[in-house]
Amino acid sequence: MPTREDDTVELVIPCDPKYVTVVRLTVAGVAARSGLTVDDIDDLKVAVSEACTNAIDHAFDEAGGQPGPHVHVRLYPKDGEMRIEVEDEGQGFDPRHVKKALEAQEPGQEGGLGLYLIERLTDELRVESAPGSGTKITMTKRVARKS
Amino acid sequence: MRIDVSTHDEWLVVVSLAGELDAYTAPQFREKLVEIVESGRAWVITDLTAVEYIDSVGLGILVGTAKRAGQHGGDIAVVCGRANLLRVFDVSGTRELLNVAPSLEEAGRILRDARGDDEKGEA
Repeated sequence: MPTREDDTVELVIPCDPKYVTVVRLTVAGVAARSGLTVDDIDDLKVAVSEACTNAIDHAFDEAGGQPGPHVHVRLYPKDGEMRIEVEDEGQGFDPRHVKKALEAQEPGQEGGLGLYLIERLTDELRVESAPGSGTKITMTKRVARKS
Repeated sequence: MRIDVSTHDEWLVVVSLAGELDAYTAPQFREKLVEIVESGRAWVITDLTAVEYIDSVGLGILVGTAKRAGQHGGDIAVVCGRANLLRVFDVSGTRELLNVAPSLEEAGRILRDARGDDEKGEA
């Protein structure tokens, strides 16, 4: 059955990594209805998990205090593609840092691979953030996997 | 996530996982691997045959363990045959660094060779 314009699915999860698996399961179910392949869906599951994990990490303030309460995940399925937004209520950051995070990573790097993996596993990536105003990551995956 | 640890031939430790390896489950995995390597058992196979999912947090732990094992004169190998996990190793460029192998036997051979080469190097 083809997807419709209003087939948006929205999840709001607590800022806790134990709920990221719920997002993965939901993304897999919704993406399958967009005609994405099993391999594409596997890519998308990793990408959305990285975005959620980043959001949960960034939700803590610089002093290590209480996290922002929620991460918002919105899925926009269409025939042949799916767009996903992951938005947090955290401290935000200077978007100029994104460029460095997307540069070629060292194989021996232990952390900071999240955005790099999202960029490699999806077809489009946009990061909107500013200090004090949260972060929104938008990614799009289309049926044909990029090489 | 379930973690099982076994020792083979007195020098090789096999850590077998089942479940998902992500930011939620990773801390107990990290803790176990650090404990093993810091106790001087620096030749480690992590068997991910029963792991269904891995992300950058799990990768980071494996890379960190490889470095730590190297500092103690050892190395690690990873057993993995699932396409979705191999894709993450490939995209992150860590497949070679982590000695990813399709079977426990192959992973053991890789570490046995590395251990033998090191011993020859020291002789």
